Amino acid sequence: MNRGVLLKTFREAWLATLLFGLGFFVFEALLAFVFPTFFDEMAAPMLNLPFFRNIIRALLGAEVGDSLGPQVLGSLAWVHPIALIIVAGHEIVFCTRVPAGEVDRGTMDVLLALPVSRWQMYISETAVWLGTGVVVLIMGLVGCLLGGLSVAPESRTELSLLVRIVANLFCLYLAVGGLAFLVSTLSERRGRAIAVVFALVLSSYFLNVLAQYWDFAEKIAFLSVLHYHRPFAIMQSSAWPVTDMLVLTGCGAVLWTAGGIVFARRDICTS
Amino acid sequence: MALQLACFYDVRRMSLITIEQLTKRYGSRLGIDRLNLSVPEGTVYGFLGPNGSGKTTTIRLLLGFLRPSAGRACVFGHDCWSASRLIKSEIGYVPGDLRLHTWMTGRVALQIVGQARGRDLAGKGAELADYFGLEMTVKVIRMSRGMRQKLGLILALVHEPKLLILDEPTTSLDPLTQDRLYDHIRLMARNGHTVFFSSHVLSEVEDLCDRVAILREGRLVTDETIDHLRDRAPRAVTIRWKSGENAEPATPPGMLALRRKIGRVWECDLTGEVTELVAWLAGRSIEDVEISRPNLENLFRQYYRGGDT
Repeated sequence: MNRGVLLKTFREAWLATLLFGLGFFVFEALLAFVFPTFFDEMAAPMLNLPFFRNIIRALLGAEVGDSLGPQVLGSLAWVHPIALIIVAGHEIVFCTRVPAGEVDRGTMDVLLALPVSRWQMYISETAVWLGTGVVVLIMGLVGCLLGGLSVAPESRTELSLLVRIVANLFCLYLAVGGLAFLVSTLSERRGRAIAVVFALVLSSYFLNVLAQYWDFAEKIAFLSVLHYHRPFAIMQSSAWPVTDMLVLTGCGAVLWTAGGIVFARRDICTS
Repeated sequence: MALQLACFYDVRRMSLITIEQLTKRYGSRLGIDRLNLSVPEGTVYGFLGPNGSGKTTTIRLLLGFLRPSAGRACVFGHDCWSASRLIKSEIGYVPGDLRLHTWMTGRVALQIVGQARGRDLAGKGAELADYFGLEMTVKVIRMSRGMRQKLGLILALVHEPKLLILDEPTTSLDPLTQDRLYDHIRLMARNGHTVFFSSHVLSEVEDLCDRVAILREGRLVTDETIDHLRDRAPRAVTIRWKSGENAEPATPPGMLALRRKIGRVWECDLTGEVTELVAWLAGRSIEDVEISRPNLENLFRQYYRGGDT
């Protein structure tokens, strides 16, 4: 790692991280409050409709059956498209900065002129990415806890379960970030890199949703990273999703390492 | 490992940069082709050539931004690709198309560079900012192009590098700052630092450089000292012939290369001795003759065009 690159990366990332974190905080707080509060008046009757049950099944990736209550519905907050967009958006924005963003802006020359190896630069970027990811997810967790303070204790999700869900989400963060780093190292245009990663994440999301309706999609659903992020299953079993976390972390590590190798070996030309 | 990576470092000549058979291909296009160069320590080395001749490619290879397709480039005796981090600790670089992070102020940029180099550069940075007349608290986004260029120079000079690589550094500088930069470069060279200097401004190359290499279409066409080039530089000669029959000869002699003929006036380059020209003109009907001092710019232009020099 290099202190200069760390300092530069932190200065570039802190504001965006704060904004994404605040967004996540507000969203999680809102859902932690809304679902239990309005469950009886609004959510319960709607959930009896097959159409809504199908949507929830698609989002949670499992048949909820009769177990659907305000607490289980709370798991939706962690697979809701907005939550996923906030988390994935933060890391796609972050991880495509170097090298794609720097090459695109033409600032890579100044950065590469520093006595820093490419691996050092890559690792420094990664360190800040991991740190900011933890901040964003913790802000979401705190939002969920604070939002739940105003509802009945039995309707709240237990902290131990929330920690497992957030840890699983962090592993998803690693997998998507690893992909974003790899695409960034292969690209010289940041916009293109963002579009590619976003398209892949979106495809993964739709594959996971379609798997609930379509047999063929179900067969290949294991290819979707979201297949390994199942808050509902965590709530049902109360266990650590070790296999899912390992798969996601493994994917992230392989993609990140491939990105590092590409970055260390490729020509870098800003014009 | 260090021994394996080390290039041949000629101690007698103290070559700071050694380039051997260096080739860079971009797909089917050739960036530079079997380039050989040796830059002695303590010199200001001019690196010239028309656009697309391979100057920036060579600089990028020296800094380890690009990987050679063949051959090798060494700085301080180390391979530029595999030991890039090591050599960059003693290099200062200003790119031709300098882009800085727009959110930075000069002071923040200096702080980041200082942290990256593991040195406190604030004092020297302030000194250089004062020398070049740059306000370090202004954000890059609010800086003019010239101010950004000054900041780029400060960041490249602040750690007092052994080797300074400048890619067309004076493009957006005002004449006063250009003079300050020239003075600084001369001072650096006097103190044993080496400056590798790419430019299109031929007059500044003539003023500053001890030695010049010229590239054309990725190939080295010459690598000589300025004094040697000056000896070979043609003098511009203008001859106005008297009117009347047979006053004007049919063809110029071998020492005169006729560039243009306007009525009775010949504009030529003198490639031989002045005394030869005077002897040739002695018996002829001339109205006027003008012989300039040796002009390196004309010689450079001949190299650029690919003419016979």
